[in-house]
Amino acid sequence: MATTRREFLKVAGGAAVGIAAGPAVARAQAPKGVPADPVKIGILAIRAGIAAPVGAAGLRGTEWWADRVNRAGGILGRKVELVVEEESTPKDTVERYRKLILQDKVEAVIGGISTGVTLALGPVAEEMDTPWLSWDGTTQKGVEETMPKPKWAFKSVDNEVEAIVAGLLTPKYFKGIKTVAGIGNDYSYGHDCWETYQAVLKRYIPDVKFVLELFPKLGVTDFTSHIAAIQQSKADLLMCSFWSGDATIIMKQAAAVGLFKTMKGVFTTAGGVHDSLKKEFTPEGLLLGYNTMYFDDPRGSALLKQFVREYKAKYNEYPPYECDHAYFCAESYKAALEKAYAAGGKWPSKAEVVKALEGIEVDSLSGRRSWREDHIQMCNFYQGLTTHKNSYDFVTINPIEVVSTKTAMKPAGSKLLEWINGWKI
Amino acid sequence: MTANLVNVLLGGVFHAAILFLVAAGLQVVFGVQRIFNLACGSFYALGAYTGVSAVGFFTSHGGPPALFIVPLVLGGLAVGLVGIVVERGLLRFVYDRDETFQLLLTFALVLMLEDLIRMTWGTAPVSTGGLYLSYGQARILGATVPVYNLIVIAASLAIALGIGWLLTRTAFGRIIRASADNRDMAEALGVDMRRVYVRVFTLGTMLGTLGGALVIPATAAMSEMGIELIVEAFAVVVIGGLGSMRGAFVGALVVGVLRSVAISVYPELEMLLIYLIVIAVLLWRPRGLFGAAAA
Repeated sequence: MATTRREFLKVAGGAAVGIAAGPAVARAQAPKGVPADPVKIGILAIRAGIAAPVGAAGLRGTEWWADRVNRAGGILGRKVELVVEEESTPKDTVERYRKLILQDKVEAVIGGISTGVTLALGPVAEEMDTPWLSWDGTTQKGVEETMPKPKWAFKSVDNEVEAIVAGLLTPKYFKGIKTVAGIGNDYSYGHDCWETYQAVLKRYIPDVKFVLELFPKLGVTDFTSHIAAIQQSKADLLMCSFWSGDATIIMKQAAAVGLFKTMKGVFTTAGGVHDSLKKEFTPEGLLLGYNTMYFDDPRGSALLKQFVREYKAKYNEYPPYECDHAYFCAESYKAALEKAYAAGGKWPSKAEVVKALEGIEVDSLSGRRSWREDHIQMCNFYQGLTTHKNSYDFVTINPIEVVSTKTAMKPAGSKLLEWINGWKI
Repeated sequence: MTANLVNVLLGGVFHAAILFLVAAGLQVVFGVQRIFNLACGSFYALGAYTGVSAVGFFTSHGGPPALFIVPLVLGGLAVGLVGIVVERGLLRFVYDRDETFQLLLTFALVLMLEDLIRMTWGTAPVSTGGLYLSYGQARILGATVPVYNLIVIAASLAIALGIGWLLTRTAFGRIIRASADNRDMAEALGVDMRRVYVRVFTLGTMLGTLGGALVIPATAAMSEMGIELIVEAFAVVVIGGLGSMRGAFVGALVVGVLRSVAISVYPELEMLLIYLIVIAVLLWRPRGLFGAAAA
């Protein structure tokens, strides 16, 4: 007798239930009111283009977290199941976001890197009534917040925090700076960082002059002419907010003409590609930013050290900061589920999770991180002067400056430039 | 002052040297096969990635770092043979089709090659580390110039002369020019068009892959680097005239140097200035500086 498709599916379905029931049975002390099936979490990760390595790092961080949680028995006994979708253009990503919630029935969506995309995701998250925790994307238009009181959307740190941190550290490490040149990518992040850095530096060095600003398109691979213009500007210091392969390229092409023999350098975000900044062409004494996680922090937690070790073993690379954003989002979601369960005694509703997330603090790879009441990530930023004194073939930083978003991010509800100009110095 | 001028000009000429190789590949293929090959930028990216791998293989097998340019060039040339596969496997089916189909096909190639690169080399940028600096720097009129940049400029110039010689002094060159002039007549006179097409397309591909390989020590390979360049190559071709080698040479110089000067003088004008020139050329010499006169 031939098996019909329907019969086959029944058998297959039965087998699947059997498999799923196995751990459920084994889990004798399953908390009351918790379903036995896995908890599905949607993940959005960039897969192609310039930010693909950033997306890969976020995904790796998330997978490492999920393995760890599942090995320890899941969240309240429920296994974690990741449903991964691609982040691409705003329109397509919004469609995939809806698909994750409507079709895959995920309980939360985590991810989102490009602010161009997450600016569009924010309102959609609000209307879909499902928690969304963004890795690295904000809902900022320029430097201004567009969603000051979200219900479902949880957003990354403000885009310009690393420029502010660099602006605070510049006068500390580089004395006598009178003229500054800037280079950044020709889109919102590059322009906003430059504008913010100037505003901060002017507070500390009132007579500083900004003599040149260059905004090459994202993806340019030849900066020879830009470097010629920077040399011509005779600036005392170059500020650069590149975060992808272009940071490596400009570093190499600058070394080829000896640019940093006479000029100081501030690379607010190049820590994103830190292991490509080889000693051969990256000088010591540049201010280099690692965003929210510094892989080589001697004061780092055991969790960080284990993560770095296993990441290196698996991918033969040293992890960049995006892993930490991703780990924090997932870990805080887990903590919120547990907190809401403890309060209500049953698997929490989505609205209860969102309430529990507000203000929650957890151990992330980089240390303690939390969600501010207005759904913005709070964390530390790591920057310092490049050094060759390490066992790698690329630069690290020493001393390591750790600056909290409590000092370097505008408070909820304030306007960025008004806030900076109101500092008492 | 002179040092600045030298820096700006040489920066522009370095950019032009690479741009010329890619645009020359575009031109030779268009001249003979009448196909506007959008994938020329992808061949450039493919050459860059292959260059990194070839150099990596060479140095990890004990090759002296100072000779890295040898595997670089060989790798860049070898991967150009992919042109044979593309021509025989894809392009030959669309010679008689509408230009739209040809454009669509070469655009499909752009997307496929980008994915192929991502599958082979991953998404993170790859580079040859600090080898770029191993040839040191030269002082020219007070400016510090990386010797490797000068090598690339010289190589590009030599290739330009080589192509000139090939086109004007060899039998193959005469066949290419005859086919470009009048495909049917050349065929009637006994030229095996199939072979000409394969060779011309492979030559065009090799110019692109070699360009990519040569540039890579000075930069890093990223999967979308080709798309960035093809836009500039368009401008080169429009300024120089479609199908003309001299046009590619002069067009690349105009675009490269103007870009460099604009970045130094008024950076906001970088792209605008190039397209203003393109518009001016289109208005006053619609066929480009060296384009064939209207029939």
